[in-house]
Amino acid sequence: MRNILLIAKREYLEQVRGRTFLITTILLPTVFLGVFYLSFLSGKNSGVGKHIAVACSDPALGAEIRTEILADTEAKAKVDLFDAEMPGMLMDSDRAKLVSEVNDKTIDGFLWVDVPANGPVVATYDAQTAGDFVTAERLQSALNQALLRRRLMQSGVAASAADALLKTVKVNTRQVKNGQEVTSNAVSSFYSAYIMALLLTMTTMIYGLNVGRSVIQEKTSRIFEVMLATVRPHEMLTGKLIGIGAVGLSQILIWVGAGGAFAASALGAQYLNGNLQIHISAFQIFLFAVYFLLGYTLNSALFAGLGATLETEQELQQYSPLAALPVWISFSMILLISSNPNSFWVVLASLFPPCTPIVMFLRMGSQMPPLWQIGASIGLMLLAIWAVLWFSTRLYRIGILMYGKRATLPEMMRWLRYS
Amino acid sequence: MPVVELAAVTKAYQDKVAVHALSFRIEPGQMFGLLGPNGSGKTSSIRMMIGITAPDSGAITLFDKPFERSSLRRVGYLPEERGLYKKMKVLDQLVFMGTLRGLSTEEAQKRAVAWAKKLDIAHSILKKTEELSKGMQQKIQFISALMHDPELIIMDEPFSGLDPVNATLLQDTLLELKALGRTILFSTHRMDQVEKLCDSIALIHQGNLVLSGRVREIKSRYKRDRVHIEFSGDESFLRSEEIAEAKNYSGHAEIRLKEGGDAQKLLAEAASRATIYRFELMEPSLEEIFIQTVGGNIDA
Repeated sequence: MRNILLIAKREYLEQVRGRTFLITTILLPTVFLGVFYLSFLSGKNSGVGKHIAVACSDPALGAEIRTEILADTEAKAKVDLFDAEMPGMLMDSDRAKLVSEVNDKTIDGFLWVDVPANGPVVATYDAQTAGDFVTAERLQSALNQALLRRRLMQSGVAASAADALLKTVKVNTRQVKNGQEVTSNAVSSFYSAYIMALLLTMTTMIYGLNVGRSVIQEKTSRIFEVMLATVRPHEMLTGKLIGIGAVGLSQILIWVGAGGAFAASALGAQYLNGNLQIHISAFQIFLFAVYFLLGYTLNSALFAGLGATLETEQELQQYSPLAALPVWISFSMILLISSNPNSFWVVLASLFPPCTPIVMFLRMGSQMPPLWQIGASIGLMLLAIWAVLWFSTRLYRIGILMYGKRATLPEMMRWLRYS
Repeated sequence: MPVVELAAVTKAYQDKVAVHALSFRIEPGQMFGLLGPNGSGKTSSIRMMIGITAPDSGAITLFDKPFERSSLRRVGYLPEERGLYKKMKVLDQLVFMGTLRGLSTEEAQKRAVAWAKKLDIAHSILKKTEELSKGMQQKIQFISALMHDPELIIMDEPFSGLDPVNATLLQDTLLELKALGRTILFSTHRMDQVEKLCDSIALIHQGNLVLSGRVREIKSRYKRDRVHIEFSGDESFLRSEEIAEAKNYSGHAEIRLKEGGDAQKLLAEAASRATIYRFELMEPSLEEIFIQTVGGNIDA
């Protein structure tokens, strides 16, 4: 045990004193928080402040559409009513004029509404940006409101009654947590879980690869030969895993400490209880540490075994997609996870050990998974860690003393038999 | 009571037999040379002695007990493949290795500094290992193997890559340790060093023991048919009928006498033609014995 602790201490100090630790401790959360805040802001500000022209063959309807658009105060839109060459009729020359205004960037886009005497209303929105679906949504809503209002009035409903009928209601989101309703912002809840999942992924991957890299460095520097004359291979591996794992935990503690200090500050309180409405419970932080340890051990055990079979760090890089695969799988399910966190496939993915940490945290963004599923996921991860460690320690024991060339699969199988 | 004993030890890797039924013993206080060409099984034998690998058959005893890991605290090992943590400071590295071998941090620090002074690297003790020259790094490895004051010192090619000054410094250190009663095993290609330093040797070739025993006793098995002459003047005596082979290094000749060749006759011939400063009749050198024994089968 003394040897394991000495090796762990050496690994820990070497990593913590390194520049990489300093950079990742500060840079990772800064970048992620930056991305989070930008996503939040861009979500809030998309389609805002547009300058739009409304061209309608029915000038009265055009004016009503304009009023509806301006009624949406969040959009902060500037809306011009287009004067057609021939009032009551839209011609190609009118369209060409509007296109040229868009092209000159005089306006951001125009809504073209053709109301034929007989037949359905046809509307198009031409804009500088093709993907501005938020503005398109707003225009569609405004147009439908205006048309509905007109149809109601044509059916004999009084204007005031039509307004009352068409009054929209904003749905505020609240989340039920532990039997209590808390005000929450669905977008920021999702993003905070997303950031935690991403942070968890990055740290477990980075530190897992670190273990693999450290094994290769020791192999190429031939330090194993000296070490093995003093300690057993499993002591070396265990010490390494504990040491580097402790580095990751220290990093998380620093982040939690910094996050706690920020939350306690006046600025933090303003942000967290204001628009963002972020609720990260102590239980989530605890689970973050648990899933980090499990994810890290799984990745590290895998890369320690793999590292022992390789000769250079470049070779290890070729295998890094192996660590990224669960990340791709998990993030490809993100829409399903956020909208239906308890569906069969999501639960299955969250119980599949390589995906567990990420999927579990993404699920927590929408709804806390049942305790039994959290327990089962931890149990299954422990089982997977045991299995990977079984293979890795065997590969490690032999591989660290094999120099010269990368081991082939049949060679690895032989090593497993020897051990 | 031997410090190390190998009894019919065999080790094979897949189809290749690295060591075959190898037996030898190293007595306390001996300087023991393990010799053999590259790939002959020296490193494999050493690795088995210190438990890095296990023999397929045969027995290894360390300090008169079957191999057990606790015995390794009494062993200092310098592998052929040198290995150090490049990013670590020299002192930290030495303290780490010392504590792994049972020393307290304070004691390890004290000993590391003392050894650094002795081997003239005290000025580099706070530098990172990667900043040091290869020779300096080798000295650090040397200290790392010795700082826990082991009773058995195992060194695989300890002088390779060292300049003559540092090689002598380490050689003298080993002799001092021998004088203190430590047992030393080293493997090398350098026969001159073996001849100078070792009491006993084991020569292995292709995994088999081909020669072993005390150096003096091994050499005495061979006839004194080698002559070393230092001379000036006419060198025509080197074509004497008594000589089978002569190598002339301008003023210094190494001669092998013919079967039945007479050294006294050769001396008389040489003295009649040149001025003789030294005339020494000796057994073949270990290098010659090595080449003669292993013959043309060296793989290196």
